[in-house]
Amino acid sequence: MKKTVYLSLLACSYLLADTDLEALKKQMEQQKIIMQKLEAKIDSLSKKQVQMQQEQKIVQVSAPAVNTSASFSQNAYLPDIALILNMSAVSRNVKNSDYENFAIPGFIASGTAPLPFNKDKGFNLNYAEVAMHSVVDPYFEAFANFHLHPNEFEIGEAYVQTTSLPYALRVKAGKFKSNFGRINFKHQHSWHFDSQPIIYETLFGPDGISDAGVQLQWVAPTDTYIMAGVEAMQGTNGKSFGDTEENNLYVGYLKSSVDVGDDLSILGGLSFAHGKNDTANPTNVYGVDLTLREQLGSYSALIWQSEYLYRNKDVGTNHNKQAGLYSELIYQYNNNYSAGFRYDRITKNDTDLSAYSGIDTNNLDRYTTMLEYKPFPMSRLRLTYTYDRTKIIAGERKNISEFMMSLNIAAGAHGAHNY
Amino acid sequence: MKNILLLTVLLTTLAFGSIRIDTTYTTAGAVAQKIGGDFVHVTVLGSPKYDPHFITPKPSLIAKLRRADLLIINGGGLELGWLPPLLRAANNAKIQNGAKGFLDMSHFVHMINVPSSVSRAFGDVHAQGNPHYSTDPYVILPMAKAIANKLAQIDSSHALEYQQNLEKFTKEWRAYLKKLDAKMLTCKDKKVVQYHQLFNYFLRRYNYKIYGTIEPLPGIAPSSKHTIALINVMKNNSVKKILQDVYHERKTAKFIAEKTGAKVLIIPHDLGADGSKTLQEFYNKIANRICQ
Repeated sequence: MKKTVYLSLLACSYLLADTDLEALKKQMEQQKIIMQKLEAKIDSLSKKQVQMQQEQKIVQVSAPAVNTSASFSQNAYLPDIALILNMSAVSRNVKNSDYENFAIPGFIASGTAPLPFNKDKGFNLNYAEVAMHSVVDPYFEAFANFHLHPNEFEIGEAYVQTTSLPYALRVKAGKFKSNFGRINFKHQHSWHFDSQPIIYETLFGPDGISDAGVQLQWVAPTDTYIMAGVEAMQGTNGKSFGDTEENNLYVGYLKSSVDVGDDLSILGGLSFAHGKNDTANPTNVYGVDLTLREQLGSYSALIWQSEYLYRNKDVGTNHNKQAGLYSELIYQYNNNYSAGFRYDRITKNDTDLSAYSGIDTNNLDRYTTMLEYKPFPMSRLRLTYTYDRTKIIAGERKNISEFMMSLNIAAGAHGAHNY
Repeated sequence: MKNILLLTVLLTTLAFGSIRIDTTYTTAGAVAQKIGGDFVHVTVLGSPKYDPHFITPKPSLIAKLRRADLLIINGGGLELGWLPPLLRAANNAKIQNGAKGFLDMSHFVHMINVPSSVSRAFGDVHAQGNPHYSTDPYVILPMAKAIANKLAQIDSSHALEYQQNLEKFTKEWRAYLKKLDAKMLTCKDKKVVQYHQLFNYFLRRYNYKIYGTIEPLPGIAPSSKHTIALINVMKNNSVKKILQDVYHERKTAKFIAEKTGAKVLIIPHDLGADGSKTLQEFYNKIANRICQ
């Protein structure tokens, strides 16, 4: 009996266990299916996500179709362009027809002076100048000044210069204003006075030394500013050079500057030009310049600038030795007002003056004073009074008194001026 | 004798070994010094006592640019009136725009007051926006990061040190900003006028309201008509603070103060403009003066 009970119990437990196992197995299978489903879901989700990320990336790189006409547009590479206008009203104690034919003994014969600026008593439109500047590529930048007189087009300057030469070297090539002296490389509109210093006008004419050629400049690796430069030019300037058989002009200069404290800076230069004049003989010009600038505030300064030039021109029969200087003092009161005084003098005139017999050719000098008002850095009104004792008018020495109001504007993208 | 020789050799290697950094203004100069540490020699071109738009382009600055390995500019047009001719004259290929040694900070700063149209009829407006961002003490951090990255690029042998300096400085600066922010919370009167739009970034950071400028248009000297209009605006809104920079004339501000009972506060625009020696001193000075 006992045995039977045991057996049945055993069988029962077996049976029971069997059903348990079945149920478990079923459950397991169900879970497996759920797992598979979940896996599939995750799979599809991650696929979706990848797809979405891709989509996003595609959206990121895609742009809406705007500016569709710009496929070949180069507007972003346009050069900086500026328009410079210069005009004046002049009152003078000499008739226009007499003034045009003035002479400066030993330098300018009657009627030979080109007078591009402020020639007429009355109104003058001196020029409209189009100035352009652009980076060419990683190695060059280009500048051009198209100087438009009322009846004349002139390429004032057009040159390229290097930007990435080693050893602080820079090469300039084209037509450019020489760096001889202090004022020669500056354009008329950036001078402190509307008129050119007499010694520049008499030795080089209104454009100064401006010619086709090449220039090499070097800045020394020193704490003190030292710059040296050499130039080879065509030498077309007929007043001092002008031998047209070949390029004939060589210019060299050395400039240095020191600061005294925070506010006083001193700039000095020595220049030399050697060329051949129209008699095929040599001309040598020597220049010394000195500029002191005391900064009195952000917008206020006192500037004293002077230059002395000496020319030895061999004309075959004679060595003409002539020299002169100018010295100017500028007081910049604030952003709007400044005033200045300049003294010009011919200091040596050792040349053939026989054409002026009976006329006093000594003491050739000029006094210029100006008052300037700038409503904004781009525009300038300037009132100038000049007392000029350098000229022969209608065959006799005549002291010229002149009042002038000039207006200069620089509109557009005009770069900052040099020191 | 041997010692002297050793010393000279050491000094020359030091002088040659260091990276020469030129910055246009003092604040960037101080940040560059923090990041560069002993491996750099920093020269600042523009004195903080002058209007940053009108630095005199003295030839002595050409000599400084001539030997620089890295030029850090403020950008946003602030240097347009004085730097380009100097940079051209220095003949230094390393620091020309586009070269590795040229860093324009404005590229790393979110510029505000960007005009929708630009014409000089509106005065001296900068097309890229207000360039006087360095009055915001938060801007120091992106500046520091940009300088560290640039230094690592041009002097990779010390990249690790620059990174360490950056981390250290960033930590310091964040702590300082916390203090400064707390201090600024105690400032109550938030109505101001200023001479030029010079402090906009600082004023925006600490929720000041600007009621106008003494100059009628950027870069244009005050006119009596504009001054009277400004006085009326100040009276109507009870504005009691006039922010004056160190370099403009002070007559107009004093006149307005007399008419309105407002206070003229001299605020430095750049490190050192008002005697500050460190970056923290500079921003503390702005904060202390404005909070008066």
